[in-house]
Parts: sequence; C-alpha cells; structure tokens
Amino acid sequence: MGTKRTLLRFGLGLAALAGLAAIATACSGDDSSSKSTATGGSAGFTAAGYKAAGLDQAKNVTVDAGANIKIGISSALSGDVKSLGLPIADSAAAAGDGVTIAGHKLEFVREDDLCTPEGGPAAADRLVKAGIVAAVGPICSGGTRASLAIYDKAGITHISPSATAGDLTTPARPEGPYVTFFRVPVLNSDEANAQAKFSIGTIKAKKAFVVFDTDDYGKDLSQQFQNFFKAQGGTIVGSPAGYEKKQTDFKSIIANIKAAKPDMVYMAGFYAEATPFLQQLRADADLKSLPFMGGDGIKNDELLTGAKDAAENAYLALPGTTGPKFADYKAKYKDADSATFGPEAWDCATIIIDALKKVAKDNGGKLTIDLKALNEAIKNTDIDGASGHIKFGNNGDRAGAIVRFFQVKSGKYVEIK
Amino acid sequence: MSILFLTTPEFWFDQIVNGLTTGSIYALVALGYTMVYGVLQLINFAHGEVFMIGAFAGYGVLLALGGQDISGVMIVVALVLALIAAGLASGATAIAIERLAYRPLRNAPRLAPLISAIGVSVFLSHLVDDGFLNGETKHYDQIFPAGKLSLGALNVSYLQLFLMGASLAMMAVLYWIIQRTKLGRSIRAVAESRDNAALMGVDVNRAIVATFALGAIMAGFAGVLYGLFFSSIRGSMGFIPGIKAFTAAVLGGIGSIPGAVVGGYFLGLAETVGRELLNEIPGVNLPNEWKDVVAFALLVLVLIFRPTGIFTQQEGKRA
Repeated sequence: MGTKRTLLRFGLGLAALAGLAAIATACSGDDSSSKSTATGGSAGFTAAGYKAAGLDQAKNVTVDAGANIKIGISSALSGDVKSLGLPIADSAAAAGDGVTIAGHKLEFVREDDLCTPEGGPAAADRLVKAGIVAAVGPICSGGTRASLAIYDKAGITHISPSATAGDLTTPARPEGPYVTFFRVPVLNSDEANAQAKFSIGTIKAKKAFVVFDTDDYGKDLSQQFQNFFKAQGGTIVGSPAGYEKKQTDFKSIIANIKAAKPDMVYMAGFYAEATPFLQQLRADADLKSLPFMGGDGIKNDELLTGAKDAAENAYLALPGTTGPKFADYKAKYKDADSATFGPEAWDCATIIIDALKKVAKDNGGKLTIDLKALNEAIKNTDIDGASGHIKFGNNGDRAGAIVRFFQVKSGKYVEIK
Repeated sequence: MSILFLTTPEFWFDQIVNGLTTGSIYALVALGYTMVYGVLQLINFAHGEVFMIGAFAGYGVLLALGGQDISGVMIVVALVLALIAAGLASGATAIAIERLAYRPLRNAPRLAPLISAIGVSVFLSHLVDDGFLNGETKHYDQIFPAGKLSLGALNVSYLQLFLMGASLAMMAVLYWIIQRTKLGRSIRAVAESRDNAALMGVDVNRAIVATFALGAIMAGFAGVLYGLFFSSIRGSMGFIPGIKAFTAAVLGGIGSIPGAVVGGYFLGLAETVGRELLNEIPGVNLPNEWKDVVAFALLVLVLIFRPTGIFTQQEGKRA
C-alpha cells in the first residue's frame, strides 16, 4: 500500500513538474516575442486578425561608419541534423567572404534552429534582436512554419535554402502568403513527382510501402509521393508507417513491410533514422534486395559511414542541380561537392548580397538600408547561381525544378543519368 | 483493407519475436530498478544512463577490435569482450553514483535521493551528448552473422535468437546469485530489514553496493544487446528504455525479480503486438505512431486490476 501511495505521489509530482516546465517555456517564449515586437514597433496580431505586415512599418536600418552589415543564418548547428546544417551555414557565409558594400564588411550572425518548430522561432527572435537586415534560413520546414510570423512582424526578409513543405508559401490565412519569405529549393511536390516517376519507370515498382518521419517534412513529402505514385498507376500497400525522430526500433514496421510484400520501400525522413532503418531492413534475409528510395533528407555522407553495407543500392533523390556559379562556390568552400543544399545556401546569401548592393545608400560613411526596398529587390532576383538559374515565381517559390537521382554503389553516391 | 492480408501466421510470429526481443532488453534493465527499489525504496532514475554507458563501452571495444572487419571466431571474442567491458563500465558508473549521489542522502527524506537521481540522469546524458559527442549519433557495426533459423515458413534471425538466449542466461545467473549465494542472501536480508540485517552482522553498505553493481551489470549487457540490435546509440538513448523498464518493473510488481522479467516481456509484447491486435478489429486502423499509446493503455488496465503489479510482493521474497 505504502509503495503504491509513494509511486502515485511521485507520478503526480512528475506530471506537475512537466506542467510547470511547459508553462515556463511558454511564458518565456511569449516574453521574447513581445519584446521583439516592441523594438520593431509593428502592430502584429490583434483579436480582429492580422492587420499589417511588419514590412509596411519597418524603419530603415542604419549601419554606422566602420560597422558591419549583419546578415542572419538560421540553421541546425548542433544535434542530429547538424551534418546537414553546418555545411549549409558555412556555404552561406562563404558567399560573403571578402565582400564589402560601400566600405562596410558583411557579418554573418549564426543561430541554431535545431531543425525543430521550437528552435526556429527562438533563433528568429535572437537574430531579429541582433539587428540583422535579412536572413538565410530556417533550414527545415517545421522550423520555418513556426518562424514565418516573427520575421514578418520584424519586416526582415528571409530566404530558406532547404525548407520544402508545400504550404509554407500557401499558408491558410486570409491575407495570403508571407511577403517576407522566399526559398530556393525545389519543392516537396516536385521531388515526390520525380520520385514516383523514377519508381515506376526505372525501378519498375508497382507496389510501394511508405515509411515517414512524422514531422512536417516527412508527412508532406510522403503524402505527395503517395498521391503521385497512385496517379501514375502504382499501389500503396499496407498502411504508411510513421516514426518519430530518434526512433531506433524499426522491427515492427519491418514486419509490416514483409507482410505487405511490396516491390519497393519508400522513406521520407532524415539519415539519422534511415541509418538504423536500413540496417534492420537489410538484416532480414527476405528484404535484402528490396529496392529502397529516399529523398534529400537522407542523401548525406553520414548515411554511408553509418549504415555501410546496408546503404548499398539505395536510391536517393536530390532536387536541384549545379549551376554556372558552382565553380565560384567550390573555390570558396572546399566541401562543396558533398554539401546537400550547400549550393542553395550559397545562392541565398548571394541573392541577399546582390539586393543589398542595389538598395544600400551611403550617407557620408553611414549606410542606410530600406527593408522594404530590400524585399522588393530580392523578389526581382534574376541571377545564375550555384544551383542553377534563380527567379522567384508565385508566393516566393523558385520557378522551375530539376530533380536528380543517385544510387549507392560501393559506398559512394553515383548519379543515374 | 490492409488488415486481411496482414493476418498471416508468419506476420504474427515475426511480431511476437520482435516483442520478445525488445522485451528482453526491457527486462534486463528493469532488474536494476526493481533490485534497488527492493533494497532502498529508491527509484534510481540514473539507471537508464548506466545502460547508455554500457552501450558505449561495448561500442568502443567493437571499434577497437576492427569494427566492420571483425569476422569468424573473432566475432565471439569481440562480443564477449564487449559484454565484459559494458558490465564493468556500467557497474563502475553505478557504484560511483551510489557513493557520490545516494549514500550521502541515505537518511534524508525520500524525495532528496529521487531528485539527486534525476540530476545524475540529466548530467550523464548531457555529458555524453554535449560533452563528448556534440549531439552526434554513433552506430554499432553489424558484425553479427545475418542468417536465420527457419521452421517451415517461420523465421528467426540468429541475432534475435542470440539476444533472447543471452538475456535469459544473464537473468538466470542473476537469479542464482540472489537466491543461492552468500552475497545474495545478504542483499535479501537488507531488503527485508536494513536494521535487523545490520544487527545480524550483515555489512549493509556492501550489500547495497552489490545491489547497484549487479543491476548495473545487467543494464550494461542490455546496452550492448540494444546496440547490436537497433544500431543507433547516443547520450540520451537511455531515457526512453529507462522509462519503459521502470514501467515494466512496476507492472511486474516493483521489488520482485521475476516480476521485472515478466513485466519486461509483457511491455515488449504489448508494444509490438498490442496495436496489431487492435487493428484486427474491423474498421480500426491505428497508425504505427500509436504503439506506445496502446502499450500504456494496456498497462493502466493491468494496474487497475492488480495495483501492486503482476507479482504481488511476498514478505521475505523482496530484493
């Protein structure tokens, strides 16, 4: 009896602790965003709905003589996605290497968004407070969705090199898309469409089993793939199986795959989970040669070093291509060839720098930057980048899409032409 | 729709084997919770991290012996060495935790050592994640032979057989130590009454340290088995299995060794088979993400009908 009582009390205590922690986090979150609203001086949200974008009320940013122009980078700098995030941050910063605008140097302010919906807004708050004029990032769809309103309120234009969920540029709100958001990656829908075509045309699969990360990116990409695969004559067998980040036990999903007898398994997620998944899949003698198709979150060198033999023959889709300025990028960033979304990140920073050059006005050593004019200049981007030609189409999405395919052969990614 | 063709005997057999494999890991870890609780009435929340330390010790040994390139007889040698290293590392960690974080608080109010345990747990997982690995995940090399044992249409991989067999053997040895040796007798005596045991000449501190060490060795072994089976290891990996194993211990009847084992298998099966069973009901199609919901709902049900767990604690059988 005593035991039970203690345990019950302990359980309640834990629940209370968790509750307190949640409240504390929520409060501190509110606090920081209200502070940034105050400094930005914009109206923001009211009970009657969204009134005006921060951009319309944004003041000019003045950079003092001798001071640096600050550009933000919101990327995953630690945690499981850092081997995607660090090269992205370095690639973006490399674009500003040695660049000066009217004598002012560029300074890249890096904040860790952890690739999560919690990390994105926190990084956005810190960047806005740091006095940036524009930002590269956030890098993941979930973090981006949660940060859109913060950048919008502050009137800061941001360009994501890698957030690919469809609804980021078509959010369900009466005022329409956020005008302060642009992105250069190829979208999930384009990637999924190409993956479905490749699965049916090249892998010759008719029945696919779908496994997905339950975050925004995984849900969206896997749903789009299912739609395109079915539309092109394929069948989805079994129930699509969701998994959580950091999950390591995929045996139960694999038993379902075995029972559903698919021609291929499709995974929408990241390499951190794809590694144990492939190892457990290939450990099953019956599934040793079942074709595997993944996307941009999985195509990473870490997959090759982690999964080793289990990664062999896996198919990976990678949206985007190398453009005319890839050589410039590679000259500044030596790991350019293996940096997924690296060219896109370099391009994001280049777009911002080009726009700054157009709109920054020199006032006797001081530099004045009109945030609205900067946004306008970014919208009208028309350049050759490291990831191909870049123009923005509707809602800040990139116009035109190319998706390439790779297969792992002897521990290396080999492009399938 | 998908239900009809999922219901093959092979599918159920696979899922039951999966449940038993995960269950054996829970059971091995649950032993540490239940033994320490039996002796000190302390919920040792740092036990999940002791399990993590074992996984890393085993990983280090396999890496040092050649990683992916280990083959032939060396596989057996490497596995044995990895298990020994894990047992030693986990045991040493647990002894250090007991000495530094629990013993000074032994006569303090019950909540003090509990908070201390949570503190040690957070400290260790962050020390490894942020101090040594910078948030990275490491992967066990898949050195175990990939074959399987076939009984008609039913298959079990050698790895799963090894996992289930090894954990049963480890638990049997532990049970023998507790029931048949002098050390085990002293542990049981302290569990029954610390004061009386001291009066009878039992070295209480030694018995308590032995309890921590034995539980930790089991957790260290479980860490290596986990790595071999699931491959990914990280500093925070102990949290979820720790919570699950603690749950298994409560479910089995905390303080009872057979209870922890049965609780571990029950939870493992509830997780893998529970959701699939519900999906057999026409119209029900719970997605994979619901497996924990189903497992814990089952657990609440069991506890409602048997509040003290499956194995109700009997006087004199504690430890």
